Amino acid sequence: MVSKAFLLFTCLTLIASGPLAVSEEAVQAPSFRRDVMPVFFRATCNTGTCHGSARGKDGFMLSLFGYDAKGDYYRITQELVGRRVNLAVPEQSLLLLKATGKVPHTGGERFTKDSPYYKTLLSWIEAGALDDSAAVPLPVEITLAPERMVFEGGKGSEQVTVTARYSDGSKRDVTDLALFATNNPSTAAISKTGLVTAGGRGDTFVFARFNRFTIGSEVIVLPDDKNYQWTNPPVQNEFDGIVYDRLQKLRLLPSELCDDETFLRRVTLDLAGTLPSLEEYRAFIADTSKDKRTALVDRLIKSDGFTDLWTDLWAEMLRVKGGGYAPTATDTKAAEVYYEWIHDQMAQNRPLNEFISDQVTSTGSNLTNGPANFYTMLVHDTKFTPKNFASDFSQLLTGVRIQCAECHNHPFDRWTQDDYYGWVSFFTGIKRKQGSEPREFYIYNDMAAAPAKHLVDERPMPATVLGGEAPVPKGVDPRKALAAWLTSPKNELFAHNLANRIWAHFMGRGLVEPLDDMRVSNPPTNKPLLDCLAKRLADSGFNLRALARDICTSRIYQLSARPNKTNATDERQFSRSQLRRLRADVLLDSIVKATDGERSFSSFPKGIKAVQQYPRSSGDTTGAMTGDPFFTTFGRAGRATVCACDTKMEPTLSQTLHFIAGDTMQAQMGAGRVVPKAIEANRPPEAIIEELYIRALSRKPDAAELKALLEMVGTNTKDRKVYEDIFWSLLTSSEFIFNH
Amino acid sequence: MRLVFPLLFLYLATNAFAAEPVITYDEHIKPIFREHCLKCHGEDEHKAGLNLSTHATVLKGGSGGAAVVAGRASTSLLFKAITDTDDESRMPPKKAPLPAAQIELIRTWIQTGLRESSESQSLAAARDIGFKPVANAAAKVDGPPPMPEKLPPFTAPVTKRPLPVVAMAASPTAPLLAVAGQEYVRLIDLNTQQPLGALPFPEGQPNVIRFSHDGQVLMVAGGKPVQSGCVVLYDVRSGKRLTSVGDETDAVLAADLSPDQKLIALGGSGKVVKVYGTTDGKLRYKLTKHTDWITAVAFSPDGSKLASADRAGGIILWDTASGGILLTLAEHKAAVRALAWRGDSRMLASGGEDGQLVWWDVQDGWPAILNNNAHPPARATGVYGKIPNGVIALAFGPAGELLSAGRDRQVRLWAADGKALRAFPNDASLPLQAAIRNDGKTFVAGDAAGQLHFWAGNAKP
Repeated sequence: MVSKAFLLFTCLTLIASGPLAVSEEAVQAPSFRRDVMPVFFRATCNTGTCHGSARGKDGFMLSLFGYDAKGDYYRITQELVGRRVNLAVPEQSLLLLKATGKVPHTGGERFTKDSPYYKTLLSWIEAGALDDSAAVPLPVEITLAPERMVFEGGKGSEQVTVTARYSDGSKRDVTDLALFATNNPSTAAISKTGLVTAGGRGDTFVFARFNRFTIGSEVIVLPDDKNYQWTNPPVQNEFDGIVYDRLQKLRLLPSELCDDETFLRRVTLDLAGTLPSLEEYRAFIADTSKDKRTALVDRLIKSDGFTDLWTDLWAEMLRVKGGGYAPTATDTKAAEVYYEWIHDQMAQNRPLNEFISDQVTSTGSNLTNGPANFYTMLVHDTKFTPKNFASDFSQLLTGVRIQCAECHNHPFDRWTQDDYYGWVSFFTGIKRKQGSEPREFYIYNDMAAAPAKHLVDERPMPATVLGGEAPVPKGVDPRKALAAWLTSPKNELFAHNLANRIWAHFMGRGLVEPLDDMRVSNPPTNKPLLDCLAKRLADSGFNLRALARDICTSRIYQLSARPNKTNATDERQFSRSQLRRLRADVLLDSIVKATDGERSFSSFPKGIKAVQQYPRSSGDTTGAMTGDPFFTTFGRAGRATVCACDTKMEPTLSQTLHFIAGDTMQAQMGAGRVVPKAIEANRPPEAIIEELYIRALSRKPDAAELKALLEMVGTNTKDRKVYEDIFWSLLTSSEFIFNH
Repeated sequence: MRLVFPLLFLYLATNAFAAEPVITYDEHIKPIFREHCLKCHGEDEHKAGLNLSTHATVLKGGSGGAAVVAGRASTSLLFKAITDTDDESRMPPKKAPLPAAQIELIRTWIQTGLRESSESQSLAAARDIGFKPVANAAAKVDGPPPMPEKLPPFTAPVTKRPLPVVAMAASPTAPLLAVAGQEYVRLIDLNTQQPLGALPFPEGQPNVIRFSHDGQVLMVAGGKPVQSGCVVLYDVRSGKRLTSVGDETDAVLAADLSPDQKLIALGGSGKVVKVYGTTDGKLRYKLTKHTDWITAVAFSPDGSKLASADRAGGIILWDTASGGILLTLAEHKAAVRALAWRGDSRMLASGGEDGQLVWWDVQDGWPAILNNNAHPPARATGVYGKIPNGVIALAFGPAGELLSAGRDRQVRLWAADGKALRAFPNDASLPLQAAIRNDGKTFVAGDAAGQLHFWAGNAKP
C-alpha cells in the first residue's frame, strides 16, 4: 500500500520563466573570503560596536573582525534570502544600499558607489554571491613598509604600504583594505589611508591590521635641536651600550651617575627589600675601593633578604594565600608547603625554567608536594575551570593575554581562536581528588579528558602550544610537552616575559608595560635591550641572580634620578633613574628597620619580616586578601587575579591619613626607642639628627637642613618630642617612601 | 531502486515509534536522582523544599513551584535546572552536566507523562488532535473555480537572475499557483504547470503571497527593503488591483488577509503587527507585544484568531475582533520562520530556525506535537557543531496534511496527526516556500534559485 502511493510520484521541474543569466565572469568573480570579507573589515562593519557585536546590530550580525567567514556567508546570503543580497537586481541588495547610505543606516555611509569596495561587493553579488571552494588562498603574513620612520624637527609625513602574502605564495598590496592605528597620536598620527604625520618629540609605533594580522612600524620624531651632542658616557656592560644607542637615536643624554649614598639605598631596597643599616651605611661610605659598588651587589645578592624578597614576589604572582575553607583546596597548610617550596627554590637559586617546569608538570598532594599547589592557588575556587586557568597561565608565564581569542581572533595580536582552544586543551584534564583528610587534594591530569571545542564550529582542538603548527604528541602527559616548550631557551615568549618582569623590578618600569600585556601592538620601548636581557637570562641557564647582578652593575641602573636638559620628560628610555614608591611590604620592613621597631602579623610567628608574610585567613580564599591592613592601604596585591596591576603604587588619601593618624609610625618609633637611646647616651643634637637622617634616608643632612633643624631643637637638646617630630617628618617624606 | 530510500525511511520511522520504551520513575529516573540529586534533595535534606526521593514528592515540587510539568520538558523547572548552560546556575552545582543519555531519559520521561511505574498511566493529558474538516475550511465558490481570465498584458522586467522564490501560494479553490518575481507575481496553472501570466507589483519584492479563502482575491505583500512596504489585493480573474494598504518604511515581511477579507494584518522589522481594514485602508489596531522583527502572521480559517510570530522565537495568539492577547506560545528558541493553520482552525503549526516544528492546540496553547528536529541535516565527516536545521516554510493541505521545507534542503510531508509521511529529496537549491494544490494532489516547492519543483501524490500513506 505504501509503495503504491509512491508509484504515483513523478518529479517535474519547471525552470523559472524569467530570463536566465549566466555567470560569464565566474572565473574573475571576487572571492568571499579573499575579497569580500576584507571590505567588511576595512569599512569597520564588523567592529564590536557595530555588526561585530555578539548580538549584532539592528538585527544583522557579522563575526567580530571576521573570524567566522562561513557564518558571515550564511548570515548575508542564507538567513533572509532575497533581502541582504538580491540576486535578481544586485544593486537593490540591502547590503549595498545600507553601506552606501542610500537607505537609513545607523552606521551611515561606509563607502561610496564609485569606491573599489562597492565594486567588489557588487561584482560578487552579480556573479551569484557564491561561497568559496575550499582552495581559496588566504593571507599568511602581512608586512608594513617602511619599517621605521624618522622625522626631523617634528615635521613631515609619509605614506605606509601594507602587503599581504597568501597561502599560494602570491602577494598583494592591501593598503586599501587595512586599518591603521597609532600608539601615540601626539607623536605620530596616521590617517585612514595610512598617511603618517609627525607630531611632537618622541617615539611610538603605528600599526596596520589586515585579516587576522597586526604589524607595527616605529616612528621617531626628533626635536629640532642643532646643539645636541653625544657626551660619550662610560659603558659598564652590554645593557649600557644598547640603551645609549637608543638615547642617541632619540637625541637624549643620560643623567649623571648617582652618588654612593643614593646607590646604597637604591640597591639595598631592590636586592634585599629593605634599607641599609647604620653600620652598612658607614662601612660603604668609608670604603674607598674602586669596585665597592659591585662588591655590594655581590653581597646583597647572596643575602637572605634577596631570597625572601623574590619568594615574596613569586608568592604574589602565584597567588599564594592560605585559608580554612577546604573545598577550594587552598588551606593554610597547603599555602605553607607551597611557600616553603618556593623559598627553597629561591634560596638554591634554582634555574627559573626548572622552577616553572616543576610546577607545570606537577601531580600529587597539595599538602606534601609544594609545586602541585600551582593548580589550586592560581585558581582559588571550588572547581577548576580550564579556560580561566589557561588564560591566567598564559598571562603570568608568557605575558600574553590569550583570553581575547576565546570569542574572536585577537584583534591586536597574532593569536587566533585555534591557538586559544588548542591551548585550553592542555588543562581540560586537570582534576582534584579528595585526599585522606579534608584539607588534602591530589592534583592529577586525566589524560582521557576530551579536548576543548572550538567556539565557531565545535571542532575538538587537541592540545597545541601557542603558535604551534601541530598538536603535541598523544600518549604522554601533554603538560610535559607544554613545560618543555614553555621553558625552552628558544621560546621568546617565556624568556621575554621573565626578563621584562625582572628588569621592571629594578628599573621601576618594564620594557613592555603593562608587564602582562605583551602583544604585537604593544612593542617594547627598546626591543634590542629586551632581546639582550632575554638572551642573557636564557644563556645563563635562567639564573635570576646572574641577571640581577648584570642589571645592578650596569651604569644605566646607577644613573641619578636628577634630569638634564634633554631627558626631563623621558620615562621610557632609562636615561635617568625613575622615582618609584616602595612596595607595601618593603615599605613596612623599611619603617621597622629605620626605627629598630617590631611588627608582628596575625597567625605568623613573631619576628618575621613583611616580605616573609603571605595572606592567611581562617575562611575562604577566593576574594582579595593582602594579609594586613597596612598592606591594603599601601596597595599590596590582593592576589585575587594574576594581573600585575593588582599591585598598586598610586598614592591615595588613605595612605596620607595613615601616616598622619595611623598607628604604624608612633608604634614603631616607640618600640625601637631610637631617640630615647640617643638622648640617654648624651649624644649632641647634630649626631642625633645625622643618625635619624641615615636611618631614614641613607644620607646625612645637608648644611641648610642641619641648620634649620638645630634651630628647631634650640636649647631643648634632651627633648624626646622634638627629635621624634623630626624622625616622623623624615619617615613620612616622599624621599623615604620612594626609591630613587 | 528509487523507492528504496523513502520506504526505508518510513519503515524506520514507524518502527522507532512502536518500539519506544516506556520510561518510568521507578525504573529509570530514580537511579539518576539517587546518583546526582538525593544528597541535597532527598529524604534527609530537601534543599529548596524539593524532595526527589519519591514519585509523589517529585510531583509536589519545591518552594519554587512545580518541578515538572507532564508532557513539557521545556517548561519544567527540573529540566531547565539540569540543562542550564550557565555553570553557576546548573544542577548539580559545581559539577559537570549530567551525561547526555541521562538528560535524554529525564526529558523523555517528562514528555511521555511522568509515569511512576510501567503500570502507571501517563499524566500528560490525552488530547484529540484529529482533523475534522469543517464547512468553512474552503469557502464555496459559485460558478467555476476562480482562474485568471483576461489578465492585462505584462512584460516581466529583465533581471540578472530569477528572484528566489521568497513567496508563493496555491489557491484553496482552484488549480492555481502564485509565485514571487522581482516586482511582479507570476501565475501558474497547476494542471499544466504552465504560466498563465503575471501581475505587476511595482512596489518591489513580494515577500508574502496569500489567496483569499474563496480564492477570488490574491494578496501580495512586500516592498523595498528599508525604503517602503505595503500590501496589495488583486482580483484573481481580471488581475485588477483592488486596493493597497499600509505605507511602511520597510518592506512588509509578514502579512495575511482575514477569511472575510475585511482585515489585513502585516508586520516586519518594526516589531509591531498592524491590522488594517481593507475597505477604507485605515489602521484598526496595533499589536505591540513582540520584541523582535515580525516574521509571520496568519488568521485562523474561521477568522476568530490571529497568530503572529517573531525573530526571537515568540508566537502570540490574538483575538481578531478585539486585538487582545489570547495566548503566548513559548517553545521556539530562535526565529520563527513560518506559521500555518490547519483547515479546522484547531491546530496552528509553527516552524523555526531552532529546527522545531510544533503543532499547537490553540484551545489551550499546548504544543500537542513537538518535533525538535523536523529537518535533520546530514552531517559530513569532520564537521562538528550545529548545522542549520531550520524549518522555513509550512503549508497545510485540504486533508489537514502539512508540507514543510527546511534547511536540510528537503521538503517533507506530515499527516494531519503529525506523523511523518514522506520526504521529497531535493539536491537543488534551498527550498524557501511550500504549497499544496487545492485538491491535495500536487506538492510544490520554490527554491532559492527561483525554480519550482512539483511532486504528484496525496497525503494518504
